[in-house]
Amino acid sequence: MCPVQTLTLNMANKCHHILYLYLGMINYKRFLLENGLKVLVHEDKSTPLIAMNILYDVGSRDEDPSMTGLAHLFEHLMFGGSVNIPDFDTPLQLVGGENNAFTNNDITNYYLTIPSENIETGFWLESDRMLELDFSQKNLDTQKSVVTEEFNQRYLNQPYGDALLKLRPLAYKVHPYRWPTIGMDMAHIRNTNIDQIKKFFFSHYAPNNAILALTGNIDYDLAYKLTQKWFGPIDNRPMKVRNLPAEPDQTEERILTIENEVPSTALYKVWHIGARKSHDFYTLDLITDLLAGGESGRLHTKLVREKKLFSEINAYITADIDPGLIFIQGKLMKGVDIQNANNSVNDVINSLLNYNGIHEEIEKVKNKFESSTVFSNTSILNKAANLSFFELLGDPGLINDEVQSYRSVTYEMITEAVKRYFTSSNCSTLNYISTRKE
Amino acid sequence: MNNLQRIQPPVYPAEKVIIPKAKSIRLNNGIPLYLIEAGTEDIMRLEFTFRAGQVKENIPLLSSTCNMMLSEGSQNFSSEELNRSLDFYGVFLNQSAEKDSAGIVLYFLNKHIEKVLEFSHEILFRPVFPEAELNALMKKRLRWYMVNREKVQNLAMDSFFESIFGRHHPYGYQIHEHDFEKITPGVLSDFHSKFYTPENMAIIISGKIHSQTADLLNSHYGHIVLKSLNNEAFVNLPASEKLKKIHVEKSGTVQTAIRIGSMTINKRHNDYPGLKVLDSILGGYFGSRLMKNIREEKGYTYGISSSLSSLDLTGYKVISTEVGQKYCQKTIEEIYREIRLLQSVPVKKEEMDVVRNYMSGEMVRMFDGPFALAESFKSAWEFGLDNNYYYSLAEKIKTVTPDEIIELAKTYYKIDDLYEITVGSE
Repeated sequence: MCPVQTLTLNMANKCHHILYLYLGMINYKRFLLENGLKVLVHEDKSTPLIAMNILYDVGSRDEDPSMTGLAHLFEHLMFGGSVNIPDFDTPLQLVGGENNAFTNNDITNYYLTIPSENIETGFWLESDRMLELDFSQKNLDTQKSVVTEEFNQRYLNQPYGDALLKLRPLAYKVHPYRWPTIGMDMAHIRNTNIDQIKKFFFSHYAPNNAILALTGNIDYDLAYKLTQKWFGPIDNRPMKVRNLPAEPDQTEERILTIENEVPSTALYKVWHIGARKSHDFYTLDLITDLLAGGESGRLHTKLVREKKLFSEINAYITADIDPGLIFIQGKLMKGVDIQNANNSVNDVINSLLNYNGIHEEIEKVKNKFESSTVFSNTSILNKAANLSFFELLGDPGLINDEVQSYRSVTYEMITEAVKRYFTSSNCSTLNYISTRKE
Repeated sequence: MNNLQRIQPPVYPAEKVIIPKAKSIRLNNGIPLYLIEAGTEDIMRLEFTFRAGQVKENIPLLSSTCNMMLSEGSQNFSSEELNRSLDFYGVFLNQSAEKDSAGIVLYFLNKHIEKVLEFSHEILFRPVFPEAELNALMKKRLRWYMVNREKVQNLAMDSFFESIFGRHHPYGYQIHEHDFEKITPGVLSDFHSKFYTPENMAIIISGKIHSQTADLLNSHYGHIVLKSLNNEAFVNLPASEKLKKIHVEKSGTVQTAIRIGSMTINKRHNDYPGLKVLDSILGGYFGSRLMKNIREEKGYTYGISSSLSSLDLTGYKVISTEVGQKYCQKTIEEIYREIRLLQSVPVKKEEMDVVRNYMSGEMVRMFDGPFALAESFKSAWEFGLDNNYYYSLAEKIKTVTPDEIIELAKTYYKIDDLYEITVGSE
């Protein structure tokens, strides 16, 4: 045992093992229906609620390049009534439930929380919209308009809102990650018709393309019985086979400079990385935490606090299933030259290769990751979404392995990954230049 | 199996909400400490709250800057040392300054409680407000401000608060570029010594409470000497501006932000629970009238909502949306039409049932887990209220009649009293 530490800031070389936690294991049970629906159940009797999460294995990467935005538009349509239920939300509200959904490059994820005594209403609602939608023309027309307003609100009516719309096609030339989930052109949404919607449903929505997770105040036996009752009778369907073009290796640096009427210049940089399941995912995750995790991250400390080149700067990796990206993005202080800012970012990345002091920082981000995982897993909704996503990756048990995977990253792995990924030929840079006179 | 009737399963009424009571004690020097036991993991949420919000400031940005500067260097540690240490122990620190109160919230694993108490004490009671850090912060904040002023929703909210609370009141005044130059270490340390004091604070801790938790808090915070200053200067009450309709022109925008509302009663008023129900029917949830009409029926917007908020000196209600420019006038007309309907036509039983049950479900969520419990506790306690406020809200949700809803709509949503702000390009 280590003695109780006194308040000290010289934490390197202290006995770090005392910071290791006993992590509460997330116990779960898993079963498979005959129609192919995969089901996960995690009991947590400390809450009066149940979370129900349904993940469909379809995202914007599955869209036709001439009809982008369809997966997300479809998510909206899923609330517009199903074959036996004219309106999804009202019956759920009638039992005190609340719901929402999101679509990303890879998946469409629907979730609700409901007081446990009324969970069967959740089964009734979710199974009915898996069975079949009512495909109303009126609903399609309204949701096209709602999605167009969503696009306007998020991308056009915000300063820098279009940056990611420019950056994706710079980094990806072939793979469907080159367009954003909302769609690359609102005309695609406007031109969608009911027949295309029906076809999309029957080639992507089915029990054999879905994962159901139930967490919270529910017994496994009840979960099993209700799943069989409501989802069991839905037939499996032939799904569209996924055959996506692989993004070829980038061989030279890409730079795009645009000008716009924004308050200050911004810098966006991305580098290609491997797929979510590749061996160095956690190494790269840890690298972005060294760079930008919390107030004491290196980018913030060096470039915001010390050199005062940026007003804010952030780094993260996408958790895309296919090969993804590392992002670094920041807004420049007034009068700072973009080339100077860009070089300074590269200097901070290269500073990770320097042995001095880095071990304490590595320990710090590992502790923070562990703490953040514990906090995240106090929410039944997070647990349900995570179990579903890890099941999609092939093993729900990954939910209990994440901290260990992150902890096992070494200094050597970090330097190897920095050298391999942060090369200029693997990098795309967007210089977003402010034209405003001050 | 195959002849399953796909009809709604039986609907069970929400079980009566039972809210765990916070244990209330006082530290040796009188600081109130509230302990809320909840959750299964060995984690904690620790909040220090002070009556040090905007309402106490005499120049703009003072309260928020003072709060942000707390972690920018203390008598014993630099800002970098403080931040690095908190990160090292996996602590999440949130600093915030609102209209009435300001403070910090820390989330951490129980095993690090002693470190957290030592560092939080440095942050709260020994900040030194170094000039270099202050200058850097104000330059950064000016950048953030410039970006925020590009967003129609921010311009609309700022203009709304200015209209309903008055341009001279801290609840209402707008921030200008030159305000970022006026904050000095001297005014910060003056504000800090007046308002970040033991007699002005409370501590709320929730999570897995251990037998020694209260003693630990007492040993770190129970010895701070009270100053017995009288800070309660005269209270400046908010007063709405005369002009009720304001359009702020913002060129190059594709959507117009709309805010409609006014000052109203707060939680201390007996009508408040009923007004909460009315607010939900109008725009407080996904199935509300505004959402159904403006989004789900007409597709004018990605979202529209109404909300009811309590402040120490007053309260306010506001309807908020961003709509396609060409739908702006139609949306405003529909908003007033929905209000008039609520003033004249009784809400049908079916709709009352949905809103009653939805709100009862929300109440379950409000008390689920240590973080939600602490937040709900605080938002009643700040008004001198306790769990009885929530029990009477739960009762009102079940019993409010359609006639009462009409009366509330007539009393509190007089159309002539409402302020209407639009921001966009005409």
